[in-house]
Amino acid sequence: MREIKPEQLEDMARGAGILGTGGGGDPYVGKLLAQQAMREHGPVTIVDINEVPADATVVAISGMGAPTVSLEKLPAGTEEVTALRALEKTLNRRATHLMPIEVGGLNSMVPFIAAAQTGLPLVDGDAMGRAFPEAQMVLPALIGVTVAPMAVADDKGNTLVLQTVSNLWTERLARTACVEMGCSVSCADTVMRGDQLAESLVPATLTLAENLGRAVREARTAHTDPVEAAADMLNGVRLLTGKVVDVQRRTSGGFARGDARLEGIGTDTNRTLELSFQNEHLLARRDGEIIATTPDLICVLDTDTGEPVTTENMRYGLRVTVLGVPCDPRWLTPGGIELAGPRYFGYETDHVSLPT
Amino acid sequence: MIIGIDVGPTRTDAALLAEDGAVRATAKVASVPDDPVAGVGAALAALPAPGGPVTRVGVGLRGPARAVVERRDLARVGVLRIGGEAARAVRPLFGWPADLREAVCADATIVEGGGGFDADEWTPLDEDAVARFAAGLAGRADSVAITGVFAPVDDAQERRAAEIVRREMGEVHLSLSGELGPLGLLERENTAVLNGALHRVAGTLADGLRATFGEATTVLVTRGDGSVMGLDHLRRHPGLGLGSSLASTLRGAATLTGRDGAVVADVGEHRIRVGALTGGHPQQALGARIGGVPVGFWMPDLIRVPRSGPRLEAELVEAVDRMQPAAGRLPLVVVGGGAGAVPAALPGVAEVLRPEHGEVAGAIGAATSPVGGQAERMVRVDARTDLDALLEKVREEARASAVRAGADPRRVQVSPVSRTPLPYLPGVALRLHARAAGPPHLL
Repeated sequence: MREIKPEQLEDMARGAGILGTGGGGDPYVGKLLAQQAMREHGPVTIVDINEVPADATVVAISGMGAPTVSLEKLPAGTEEVTALRALEKTLNRRATHLMPIEVGGLNSMVPFIAAAQTGLPLVDGDAMGRAFPEAQMVLPALIGVTVAPMAVADDKGNTLVLQTVSNLWTERLARTACVEMGCSVSCADTVMRGDQLAESLVPATLTLAENLGRAVREARTAHTDPVEAAADMLNGVRLLTGKVVDVQRRTSGGFARGDARLEGIGTDTNRTLELSFQNEHLLARRDGEIIATTPDLICVLDTDTGEPVTTENMRYGLRVTVLGVPCDPRWLTPGGIELAGPRYFGYETDHVSLPT
Repeated sequence: MIIGIDVGPTRTDAALLAEDGAVRATAKVASVPDDPVAGVGAALAALPAPGGPVTRVGVGLRGPARAVVERRDLARVGVLRIGGEAARAVRPLFGWPADLREAVCADATIVEGGGGFDADEWTPLDEDAVARFAAGLAGRADSVAITGVFAPVDDAQERRAAEIVRREMGEVHLSLSGELGPLGLLERENTAVLNGALHRVAGTLADGLRATFGEATTVLVTRGDGSVMGLDHLRRHPGLGLGSSLASTLRGAATLTGRDGAVVADVGEHRIRVGALTGGHPQQALGARIGGVPVGFWMPDLIRVPRSGPRLEAELVEAVDRMQPAAGRLPLVVVGGGAGAVPAALPGVAEVLRPEHGEVAGAIGAATSPVGGQAERMVRVDARTDLDALLEKVREEARASAVRAGADPRRVQVSPVSRTPLPYLPGVALRLHARAAGPPHLL
């Protein structure tokens, strides 16, 4: 158990951006919201998974929608608690703990807003260990935890509680509602008992994000290699250091997809790496051979600064280093691969283990 | 004849051009500390007599950015955000350095109103709240910055709020965010507030330039997006001048070489600034900070390289390569007073051009840059969307924005609309952006 102060969110947000694997939304606005909430209501207590009582009621708090929209239309800052209260009414009991649904990107910061406002402790762990684009892509689903009942709230005060037959329906209905509600909503869902957490959450990922952000910052200050610092912290494999020489984007079948080609520099001269991305970086081929796929993390970092390069910002001339980071092993079970493996995203390949 | 003048920190450059852009004369004088207008006068005096009527004067200034950094001559600003509940989670000026906030902010409030991603999501403006806020500012602020959620897409509420403020406060300087920056509420709001804080500095500059050149000459000042604007536009939008010195240098390099695509190295006394031109426009970046505040101005994308050092050549080659907008090899144009420090050939750089008069490229860019404008919006595309009509609308808004800045309405040209997909929405959602440019409407 430890207390998190507003300043600590700087490092945590930096690390969460890297864990977003090119997507998840820039944690920047979420960080400002959380910092304002913490300045008004006090710091947030985060607790280890093994500190949560077995009979605790744990609720995931997150945002859904287009991060680009929320940079213009900021949240009211009340949506998270509104969603939580609507869910509690349906459950007929109060939450005792909150948790992040994903540590990658903006959703690492969103639960801090609700935790500051309610005073509830926040679990140090998350349901993905990275960022994924859809609601059903969570590890608790593998032990039968359902996303629904799910409460969705918008900035206008509308709420909606979904009771569904499957997680895929939850995603489908929530996404449609999200668009109608202004393309940016807050969600309370994935209700768990304390004794389910160890089996289904990736532990200590908020702490990991904070340590990762700190390592990158300190490396920059000390003029050592920030990418090396990130790789060490994540147990990551350097797939290529190079420059982006081509970026192609297309919208096909209602999805925005992209590919980027990198040419190696330094010790990687004469090697190439092709990245395929949608909302996140999902697949990497080196010299024509697939060497990394979702659900493993493909983190693209600016070689000089260690800052994450998002799929939106991929462009010609960037000097980047691509890291492959092993995902939580539960993602590699048949159920995990079905939810978030390469075929789900439309790539005709099996998962490929990272090179060592 | 056309005159261009670029006021730098140590030197002020001037150029006299024929109407067709041919350079007739150039001059360099020492800048006058803390008095850019005096520097302009000295540079003007150093040029030979034009030998014909001067139709326009373009001036590049750096005063406004220094005023923010040094917290000098800043006006006190009332900060009005239109966004209702949806905008409360991060308050205006959150995260500003305390001393700048203290110097600038007279008061701040958030009122109901503002837009959303879809056209039917607008909530009505709380006109009474605007009036109450304005009435309370009387005597405490001489500038009001108005920022509406989604104003870059539709600024009707900002304009209505401005009318109410003027009714309550009389003559007061107004900054409307939709005229100043792109989507991204907090940065655009900061931009609007700094714009308001700079209005006295800008007014003094505009008065000084008007007195220097007389009533009958069209005087234009450079903008960070590589275009120019009239003096009246400067009075209302001083913030648009921030970042303009590199932008006009890039434009000058285009004029001197006749290339509309190039990487440009501007070699100064201590460092080299590397930027790029595509389609005749400076390649833009967002996300700058001024005086410790994140702002949303369009400015040239820029890499700085120290001018001396063992790795000069390698660093410059890398910067040039990074700035290439695509895999095609654009030529490198070397300009600025220290252009001789760059070798005549660089490894991996196809062509190095050193145009005559490159040492006053900033002044030439100020003389030849078009008057510009921009527009943008976000759209969700489905089977019912008339995308062509939306693209036309964005083009039309960009055109109107250039005309407001002083462009000749008959001769404005609009760029193709760029489309960037937005992540995490079902179907296809796009951010559309267009820019427009044309010669000035002459007095």
